[in-house]
Amino acid sequence: MSVLEVKNIKKSFGKTEVLKNISFSLEKGEVLSIIGSSGSGKTTLLRCLNFLEFAEEGIITVNSEKIYDGKLNKKMKESEIRTKRLHFGLVFQNFNLFPQYTVLKNIMLAPSLLKIASEKEIEENAKKLIERVGLNDKTDSYPCELSGGQQQRVAIARALALNPDILCFDEPTSALDPELTGEVLKVIKGLKTGDSTMIVVTHEMGFAREVSDKVIFMADGIIEEEGTPEQVFGNPKSEKMKAFLSKSFENI
Amino acid sequence: MSFNQITAALFEGFFQNCELFALTLLFAIPLGLIVAFGSMTKIKPIKYIVRAIVWIIRGTPLMLQLFVVFYVPGLLFDKPMKSRMLAAVIAFVINYACYFSEIYRGGIESIPKGQYEAGHVLGMNRKQIFFKVILLQVVKRIVPPMSNEIITLVKDTSLARIIAVAEILMAAERFAGRGLIWPLFYTGIYFLIFNGVLTVLFGRVEKKLDYFRS
Repeated sequence: MSVLEVKNIKKSFGKTEVLKNISFSLEKGEVLSIIGSSGSGKTTLLRCLNFLEFAEEGIITVNSEKIYDGKLNKKMKESEIRTKRLHFGLVFQNFNLFPQYTVLKNIMLAPSLLKIASEKEIEENAKKLIERVGLNDKTDSYPCELSGGQQQRVAIARALALNPDILCFDEPTSALDPELTGEVLKVIKGLKTGDSTMIVVTHEMGFAREVSDKVIFMADGIIEEEGTPEQVFGNPKSEKMKAFLSKSFENI
Repeated sequence: MSFNQITAALFEGFFQNCELFALTLLFAIPLGLIVAFGSMTKIKPIKYIVRAIVWIIRGTPLMLQLFVVFYVPGLLFDKPMKSRMLAAVIAFVINYACYFSEIYRGGIESIPKGQYEAGHVLGMNRKQIFFKVILLQVVKRIVPPMSNEIITLVKDTSLARIIAVAEILMAAERFAGRGLIWPLFYTGIYFLIFNGVLTVLFGRVEKKLDYFRS
């Protein structure tokens, strides 16, 4: 049974159609990479899943529960949106950590406010997550004292603290220099063994190829090609995908 | 009159300045936040009304506003202002709330959208996002412009002289009337010392918020 099913998502900004009929599904524990050039709608798709944008049409189903229907979205109450979006976690391109809080407090803030467990359990869990992303010695540091890569690892831990069914990454390494990219990708890769279901929007082709179970290539708001990494990278059918790949791996 | 006697007499006047200063801050700081929300609300009529009020208050002299608050209740509604100090406090609170509101608005609007989005994605509600995530970052950003405005307020309190609040300049003028001019210039020392203390205080607040960068 699919953990996530997305059907016929459409989204426009003004007259620009950004997503034209996007459908896909994801099994539990799978990693999906979404690739494609800038402006193809990848980020908008993630934002629609996290209700930072609302698709005009389409249905989102998580664990067989219909959590979003474009036709009914105007009727959704804010509290309803809040509960439903907790099925998803989102890691941003530029981290968006809360600068006034320590690493530990950044991770604990939302769980404490939502009272998902006792304060003590929340803290223990947060510390475990900090260990999992390899930042034990930074528990009491402030975001401004961390490198970009470390900040992004904190952001990953912060998203995991709410136990989302599906964790989304919006170009998690695009704001990082190549040296720091590796440490973040390693953490994401490490989550795979932890049975997390993940959607990763990325420009890191090597990562997409190696880590994902499924790859979607988007172009101009549609899914141009999808399949296993072997199919999509090894034997692409669409012309656009072939062109994109040859550009991606072009030696300068 | 001896130097000490004059110093004491001026102190009495300066106490009025301090009272006006303290009361203005006490009420204008929270009222400014309400005005700021009003000028940012999505409800258009409220937004335009609030922005018009801010425009009027910032666009006219505070001295004129003092006259209006002091005289208009008596002229229009036959209910003369009984207390000059009360009139001064009302005029100052309204005036400064409008200035503060613009500082707040600038501060709130300068916080990156990503901070709100991170809060939303983590399931927080609007109130939690504002008070737990946004507010302290806004405070950090507005400390320098606020300290500027508050130092101006200290000096502006002497404008209350115009509706005969017995503040320090009025006290000094009394001596001038008797041929003693130096107390008038001496009042400057009071303002300088007061603002010196404030400057040190704001420096401390800034330093205190130095532990994070946003």
